Amino acid sequence: MNELRVTQSMLASNSLKNLSKSYANMGKYQDQLATGKKISRPSDDPVVAIKGMFYRTNLTEVEQYKRNLSEAYTWMENSEAGIEQATQVVQRIRELVVQAKNDSNSPEDLQAIGVEISQLKEDLVGVANTQVAGRYIFNGTQTKSPPITKDANGNLDFSKMITNSYNVEVSKGVQLKVNTNANNVFGEELFNTLNQIETALQDGVGSFENGDAALEKLDGHINSILAERSELGARYNRLELVDSRLGDQEVIATRILSDNEDADIERVITDLTIQESIHRASLAVGSRIIQPTLMDFLR
Amino acid sequence: MRSTFMGLEIAKRGMFTQQSALHTTGNNIANANTPGYTRQRVNFQATESYPSLGLNRPTIPGQIGTGVEAGSVQRIRESYLDGQYRSENNKLGYWESRANALEKMEEIMNEPSDTGLSKTIDQFWKALQDLALDPTNSGARAVVKERGIAVAETFNYLSTSLTSVQDDLKGELDVSVKEINSIANQLNNINKQIASIEPNGYLPNNLYDERDALLDKLSSLANIKVSYQKSGGNSLEIAEGSVTVEIVDSNGKSLGTLVDGSQKKTNELAVNYNKTNGLVESVNIGSKELPVKEFNSLGKISSLIDSYGYTYESNGKMVEEGLYPEMLGMLDTMAYSFAEEFNKVHRSGWSLNDFDSNNEPLEHTEINFYSFGRKADGTDALLTRDNIKGAASLITISKAIEESTDNIAAAYPDNGQPVQIGDGKNAIKLAEVKNQTFSIGGKSTTLQNYYEGLIGGMAVNAQEAERLTSNSSVLRDSVDQRRQSVSAVSLDEEMTNMIQFQHAYNAAARMITLQDELLDTIINRMGV
Repeated sequence: MNELRVTQSMLASNSLKNLSKSYANMGKYQDQLATGKKISRPSDDPVVAIKGMFYRTNLTEVEQYKRNLSEAYTWMENSEAGIEQATQVVQRIRELVVQAKNDSNSPEDLQAIGVEISQLKEDLVGVANTQVAGRYIFNGTQTKSPPITKDANGNLDFSKMITNSYNVEVSKGVQLKVNTNANNVFGEELFNTLNQIETALQDGVGSFENGDAALEKLDGHINSILAERSELGARYNRLELVDSRLGDQEVIATRILSDNEDADIERVITDLTIQESIHRASLAVGSRIIQPTLMDFLR
Repeated sequence: MRSTFMGLEIAKRGMFTQQSALHTTGNNIANANTPGYTRQRVNFQATESYPSLGLNRPTIPGQIGTGVEAGSVQRIRESYLDGQYRSENNKLGYWESRANALEKMEEIMNEPSDTGLSKTIDQFWKALQDLALDPTNSGARAVVKERGIAVAETFNYLSTSLTSVQDDLKGELDVSVKEINSIANQLNNINKQIASIEPNGYLPNNLYDERDALLDKLSSLANIKVSYQKSGGNSLEIAEGSVTVEIVDSNGKSLGTLVDGSQKKTNELAVNYNKTNGLVESVNIGSKELPVKEFNSLGKISSLIDSYGYTYESNGKMVEEGLYPEMLGMLDTMAYSFAEEFNKVHRSGWSLNDFDSNNEPLEHTEINFYSFGRKADGTDALLTRDNIKGAASLITISKAIEESTDNIAAAYPDNGQPVQIGDGKNAIKLAEVKNQTFSIGGKSTTLQNYYEGLIGGMAVNAQEAERLTSNSSVLRDSVDQRRQSVSAVSLDEEMTNMIQFQHAYNAAARMITLQDELLDTIINRMGV
């Protein structure tokens, strides 16, 4: 009795059910191939989905920090260039001072040196007020106003100089200072020294007094500029380190994201091929469900 | 003394009965592909032997058979398989509907993708990072504003889309309630017909088939318990009688009678919605009202109630539960907490308008970045922590930000030093809101974690619903397979029966010829 009685309609409905199951499987593999992803909705694999969201955010962050880095490079490289220029200017002034110290100079010679120093001073103001993409880079976070201004009488005004740090976030929670302390490079004292030298040269006396003291002060300023420059250099090195680390992180984040959710194409193609043969087989079986009945053999 | 013509009667009975069987075979073959048809069989029974007992019985040796008759025409069906089928169909009805509701939800949430809320928030974060790099750049400010709008609009989109699916679910629920009541009425009508036919000694097989098909359908809508009441009169022992359908909970406890077989009446099922929040509050079966929490009868109806949402009072507060209200509630919580925290950081920052034309700091004004729609007078509407309903659908950028991107507060004063216009510290702080731990819906977590939890919960729910849908579908189909094995028409079998009945018919006809010859002998040749 327990033998299952099998009827024509059962064969037909089973065959149809199996065909549709086989189609569903093919659809799954085709989706994976077409999208390149293991899953098309979170319920396909909740863990992969959640990880996917997290890794995506991670990658986005790394990409953004890399973008921040290029901003940091812009600031640092321009600051470096500015300081380089300032160093050359001050070196040139030092040479001129040394030259002026020679007793063989006529009052006209000293006058001329004085004029050159005055021009170089203007140069320094120009460098201090450097703008990159419309922003003053030697005035802390006050990027809209120049650090050195001139009052109505043409005197230099340093009261607007801001020396706080301009920070760029280079990775989560890590801020890197990308500007320099303008006071150490273009400070009021430097200009005071230059003014004194200029006055001494242009007083028409025909001799340059206190030359040694001026040289000593100049050397002090050069040292402070160099110190600022080497500090910038050190930070630049740190930036490069962060850069290479972010590069590694980007590769890793991309790979993890891919490992997590990208379909293993070779495998999917193999599975699809297998599924195709299965489907063909079940189609072939489907064509056999209409078997001859007893009727075919009755007279 | 026996009758001379008895043999003719026996042969005639044989021919008639075999003919009935052939007609039934024909009917089976004709209905081989009719859905819900159960194959039928003629129950042959020998007629009473001769002579029967009695005082004036003739004294002849032994009892002689008097032929055959068709006792009844019966369906070949196993009722316990029907029970199993309906129990699996009931689970399938519940899980299939739940899987559908969750599938739509997954499509709306669209995670992980490059267009979901997660990505939108990431892009907003990027825009804020860019702003921190160049805080006075009006381009960077415009991007922050637009990305900020995109976050608000994504919240709006998710909320309105979920609400619209929720409305569809309500429509589906109402249609299913109509369907269950219509099935109940049809069952009641069939009960009435059966009760008038059975007492005459007939088996209304087609009505039985129709009724079983309706019960199968009903089982996917609610968990039912089926019992039968005899019709009385001259009903056959195998007559099924009228059906009584009760709706039962998961423990098999009756929640109410849908179709009453003895009274021949139905009790209408009705779903009652709360007047304030519109969610399901109670379910009526006839005049009996059940609080929604007690209507835990598996099936499509309760699945739709679970998805659409239900409400009950707890500690003096109306609690809203269900797939869609909970998801909408979590989005509201997320939108509110995010806007609140973001506004807090934004208010502490300095905007471009807080500086004079010489870029010197003026007075600090507190500006909100987000608001929850506008009041009638055009100012920002805000929500309070106690009433955040609708936050996700209302969230928008504030009037101040809408009017001018200069109002975006990117600067923050250094310790003890005056704030500078080109400072981007507050922009970083705004960006960090995404990764900061703060209270979201009473839990201390980050926005990203909260959202991941929300998507994860949905994904696990959907996965479970899909798995159980496919499980109960396999089980239901295998029970159906067994049911078909018992009840479906097999053409080979019918053909075999046909030959059997045909030969019996032919043989009975031959018996009549034989009787004719015998009578010819008696009438025409004896004593002539």
